[in-house]
Parts: sequence; structure tokens; C-alpha cells
Amino acid sequence: MSRKTRDNLRAYLFVSPWLISLLVFTAYPMLASFYFSMTRYTIVRPPVWIGLENFRVMFTKDDLFWVAVWNTLYYTVVSVPLQMLVALFLATLLNLSTRGIGFYRTAFYLPALVPAVVTTLLWMLILDPRAGLANAALEAVGLPKLGWMYSVAWSKPSLIIIALWTGVGQPMLIFLAGLKNVPQSLLEAAIIDGTNAWQRYWRVIIPLLTPTIFFNLLITLIASFQVFTTAFVATASASGASPAGPLNSMLVYMVHLYRQGFSYFAMGYASAMAVVLFLVLVVLTLILVRSSREWVHYEGASPR
Amino acid sequence: METDVKRNLISRRHFLRLTGMAAGVAALAACAPSAPSAQTGPPASADGQVTISWWNGFSTPTVQEIAPQIVGEFERMHPNIKIDYEISGGPPGGGNLTEVMLSRIAAGNPPDTITLWDAPSQYGALGALTAIDEFMAQATYATPDAFYENVLNTCKWQGRTYGLPASAAAAAMFFNTDLFAEKGIAMTRETFPTTWDELRALSDEFTVLENGEVKQAGFMPPWSATWLYPVWSVLNGGLIFDAANTLYTVNSPENIAWIEYWANWLDEAYGGNFERINIAGNWGSAYPDQNSAFYNQLSSMFVDGGWIMTDIDFPFEWEVAKLPYGPMGTKTASGYWPNWFAMPKGGLHPTESFLFIEYFCTKGWETWYRAIPDTPAWKGASRDVVTQALIDKVGEERALELHRFFLDYLEDSAPMWDSPVNAFAMDTLQTAIESVLGKVKSARAAMDEAQALIQAKLEETLRAG
Repeated sequence: MSRKTRDNLRAYLFVSPWLISLLVFTAYPMLASFYFSMTRYTIVRPPVWIGLENFRVMFTKDDLFWVAVWNTLYYTVVSVPLQMLVALFLATLLNLSTRGIGFYRTAFYLPALVPAVVTTLLWMLILDPRAGLANAALEAVGLPKLGWMYSVAWSKPSLIIIALWTGVGQPMLIFLAGLKNVPQSLLEAAIIDGTNAWQRYWRVIIPLLTPTIFFNLLITLIASFQVFTTAFVATASASGASPAGPLNSMLVYMVHLYRQGFSYFAMGYASAMAVVLFLVLVVLTLILVRSSREWVHYEGASPR
Repeated sequence: METDVKRNLISRRHFLRLTGMAAGVAALAACAPSAPSAQTGPPASADGQVTISWWNGFSTPTVQEIAPQIVGEFERMHPNIKIDYEISGGPPGGGNLTEVMLSRIAAGNPPDTITLWDAPSQYGALGALTAIDEFMAQATYATPDAFYENVLNTCKWQGRTYGLPASAAAAAMFFNTDLFAEKGIAMTRETFPTTWDELRALSDEFTVLENGEVKQAGFMPPWSATWLYPVWSVLNGGLIFDAANTLYTVNSPENIAWIEYWANWLDEAYGGNFERINIAGNWGSAYPDQNSAFYNQLSSMFVDGGWIMTDIDFPFEWEVAKLPYGPMGTKTASGYWPNWFAMPKGGLHPTESFLFIEYFCTKGWETWYRAIPDTPAWKGASRDVVTQALIDKVGEERALELHRFFLDYLEDSAPMWDSPVNAFAMDTLQTAIESVLGKVKSARAAMDEAQALIQAKLEETLRAG
């Protein structure tokens, strides 16, 4: 065996733990999901091939599927821009050179380190309509109490508030890294050109930050379509509330999928839902990547 | 030279192909449903010793004290059988008990015995549990007629029995006698209302609304207690699931009338704004850590299982009574939430496993009952064995009297937990009921929709079986 062959084998040997785990724990389940989505499968009995029946039921018979789609879209459309804006705003503040900035950076990132289950339970206490801090604060300023998780109108905004608390840390940190990468020379040149701070932010910093915005947008979008823990824990621990929020107002896509698979044992149907979500996310990602050619500016890239 | 090197090299594509094939074969082998077990199992060891596994779903400190006692009693009775279990509850290695159990059954290495929180009928229909009728026919304690009939029916699907009920903690009406005394209402179990109309009239005595907000309630219809829906249906002369004919009857006139009764009650007594009523108090729990309206004396009456007698230290005197029946009903009925024991399909020691679940659900449960007031489902349990914690709270005489009340009430138990799609049905029914109480749909429209959905799900499950 030649030295090059040995080197290649050695290299493959080193990457093989990752490669095998990728194939076994990611690629195989994905492929299996595609197969199970075309079957009636209850875990214990062997799957029975039923073709596209699960998809037909999903699109034409399962009203809750559309409720879950609507709830997830609502959550995504509101929470993604909100998370992006708040994360960018906080990153901009944390990019300032001021005393104790290290403390602030740590403090603002801390919620992202707390497990989602703990954060959700904490927010359940805050948003408790009878004894929570949120309603106490509203009452203190003369506003009416809200039902929060117990209200059809306020249950999704409640989820979005929790998502904001837990989800902002990560994109904020990435924005901060992006802001740190903005070349000082460009900012100085802009100052010499007579720009004010606002103009520098919009005309220099934001264009240079677009690759970071693109990355954060993509990650946040995918995460919001897959939101599960917050909605699941919130509905499971809200005593006296429905399993998916009042009138299914917190039945997000992944919770519906989980219930189908693990509460009702319709694993074939749950797989079909997973396939649909996967395809939707692929299409959205492609659209985003395609659109990025128009609005994402990479430093040093040749102008189109 | 170059050619030689190339010949000896494994191409990247070739390597990936080989790795992929190997991983795929391994994964398929691991995940493929196993062939049905012959159920004979490996022979016992040379000394005749058999070890069977028990996935214990319990984790409270009291249970952790009691479970080893029962296991010890069993092992002394059967020196050749050893029980392997984790005292902390749940499956070995953690995870959701049901999910891990189903995965292990599919993979062909299930535990021998398991504690279930959902009815064996559901898992039996799924093909996940071993039918035990042949064992029961020859059993010492767990014979087919040894349990309360409807409670044992929770383990049956299409004539086969897939587990045993250990407990059958009956539900009853708890009422706050201090609040009754404050109102000057002399109330005993015997004089407690027997019809919904009487209950509502009594409830109105306590109800206080201020600016449309509920400040005090008598009895709040328990829309969030999904497990009791079948009982309310029976109380109004209806039935939610007809197991004998494999038919849901969600939209029967009795059931529609029941939901309309609740909706009218909320409208006329509590202002009718479902969301505001929900905000005013947690009417669905008796536990203080859940800010319970009943515990906090915002409501005077509450329906729950007998376990709350020792679970909760109520800051007031209380009494229990049977549930009143509705305008279309003729008699009371009780609900129950059992703990079940079963043998997952593919277990290696069915004979020994049955002996264990039989003991736990009969004689063993007497030991259990001394610590926790989960009323035994086994009719052979002594009428004189009382939970010590209840004696400590209310004295021996009253504890005995309460124990017998709950035991006797099981004779009036409603059919429940007997559908293979029970979880789906109760979730769907809850959404339907809330849509009526929230004035989104009429009772007829909501119950018609729920009926169609649940029956379709049932038929799909039957086809899969």
C-alpha cells in the first residue's frame, strides 16, 4: 500500500466517527422519514405502504394541520423580524466602548444559555393571568389584565415574547461579531466625507453587515418554523388549559407533528408532516439564497 | 507509477459508498421491526432463577418506599423470580416511558413488565402488549371476575385483555364544608344534590360576580378535566364510546344536551365570557402550587379523584359526595383513573411476568394502599385496609368510612379508558367543548365535527390493526 493510500485511509479513519454518525443518525432517519411518510406506521407493527394517502389526509381532511400551519406562520412572520431587529439593536449597543461592557455582553447573552424548558416555566409564572408579574404591572398602570396563555388572542404573542427572550442571544452575538469586523478605515473615510452617525450606520455598517444578516435570518427562520419546546412546555404546564392552548391557538406545526407521532401513534402521518416541513424549508432557503444575490454584499466581491 | 498509485487508492466516492452501505445496513438491522417472539424465552439458569424486568413509572418518595416492599413480598413468595427495576421510575437510561417502550418493542427487546399511565386497551389495539386471558383463566387472584368490571374493561380490546388495573381511584364531588357553614347551609353527603339542576341551584348560592368578573363560584363545570368527560356523558344518560359496537357517539342528543347545559350555566351564572372566567381562577385543579380556585376557596365544590385526600392539605374541612346526574340521566356514575400493569409484546418470561403483575395488582396493592389512597381495582382487597396518611389526617373511623365510600362508588363506575384512540378523542372533544363554551360554535356543530374526526381516527386505527 502506497504512502498516499495510507494517508487517505488514515484521514478517512479520523473523519469516520463523524461520517458514520451523520449517515446513521441524520441521513438514515431523513431517508426513513421519506419512506414512512408513504406508509401507515404505528411503531410497533411493520409499516404498510399507502402511497400518498397521508399527504391527501393532511391537505384535505386534517383541519388541525391548517391550524398548525397558520399558527406557525403567524409566529414566524412576527417573531423572526422582531428577533432580528432586537438582536441587531442590542448588538449595536454592546458594540459601544463603555465601562463594564463585558458585563453587559454577558448579561444579555445569559438567557440564551438557560434551557428553554426552564425559561418557559419562568415565563409561565410571569404571564400567569391570576398572579403573574405581567398582569400585576398592567394593573399598576391602570391597564386591564390579559389572559396571556389562556387567551386565544394573546397566546401566540405570549409565545413570541418568550421566543424573544430566549432567541435573541445567539443572533445578537453573531451580529456583534459582524459589527466588530466592519473595517475602521471605512468608517473613518466616511467621517472625512462628512457623514453623520446615522448615515454611517445605514450607508456603511448595514451594507457590510448584510452577510451576517443573511446568516441570522436563515437560521432564525428555520428555527421559528421548527419551534417546539416553548409551545409544548407552555401548553403542557398551563394548568386547566387545553393541550394546545385555548382553541388550539398554540398548536404549532412541530407540536401537531409530535402529537400525531407520539400521542396518537400515527408515525407515518407524522413523517409525512416532517417531509412537508423539510420541503417548505428547502424552498424558503433557496428563495432566500437566491434573493441574497440582490441584497447581500460581500467585501471584496466583484460588483454584478 | 501514477497508474499504480491510482489503482491502490480508494476513491472518495467509493469510500463514501461503502461507508453509506455499511451504516445503512446496520441502521436497518437495528430499526427493522423484529419477528414476533416465540414467547418461550431463554431457559431459567441452572438454579432455576429467572430475572424479569419491570419498568416502574412511579417516582414519588412514598412510592420509592413502598415499591421495594411489594417487590420484596413477591420475591419471598416466588424465590425463583427476581425483579430487576429502577426505583427512580421511568425506563432505564431515561426518556419518555411510552416512547422508549414502543421503540424497544419494535426493536425486539422490551421489558418484561411495565407500569402504564394510559389504558392498556389503547396499547393492546396498537399491538404493543401481550394478551393475558389464558393466564387470567388459571390465576390465583387476578381472575376475570376479580376486578370491577368497567375498570378491567380499560384493559380490553376486542375481547382480549392486555393488562391489569392496579388502582381505580374513583372520582367524587369534594365540597368545602366551612364555606357551606358560613352560608348557613347544612350539607351532608346524604343531602347533597342528586341532579344537575339541584347542584346548579346550590352553586348559585355561593356565586358572586363583580363587574362581570367571577369573585366567588359555587361549582364551575370542569371543562378542562378531560378524563372525566365520559362520566359527565353517562351522568346525562349518554355514552361517548360504545366499545361493544366500536362506535363513537359524541354527537348523541345526551352529549349535545350536556354541553349546552354547561354553556348555559357559564352564561347565566358566570357572565358567559369564557376567557374572563378562565382568568378569574384556575378552576381545573385542586393543587395549591397551581393556584387552585378550590384550594384558595374561590369555589366551594370540585370534582377530582380520591388521591387528593392525602395529596393536599386543605386549609378547610371538606366532605365528599356522589356526582349528580343530568336532565337526561337517571343515576349517578363515578370516574376512575387507574394505574395499570402490562406485559409488552416480545417479553421473554410471560409466565413469571404475569405472576408479578398479578401480585402487584391484587395482594400487593393492599400494601400500596396503606401508603397511598389509590383505591384498589381488585375486588378482593380488604374493606378494612385504610391508608395511614388518611388516618393521620382525619382519624381512623372517618378514614375507613371514606375508604368504603370510594370502594362502593366504583360499583357505579362509567365506561371509560376503553377506546384505542382515547387520547385523540379526549383532545378533540376538549377543543370542541371549548369552542362551544367560547361561543365559537354551537354545541351541535362542534359535537358533529368532533364525532366525524374521532370516528375517522378510530376507523383508521382499526384498518391499521
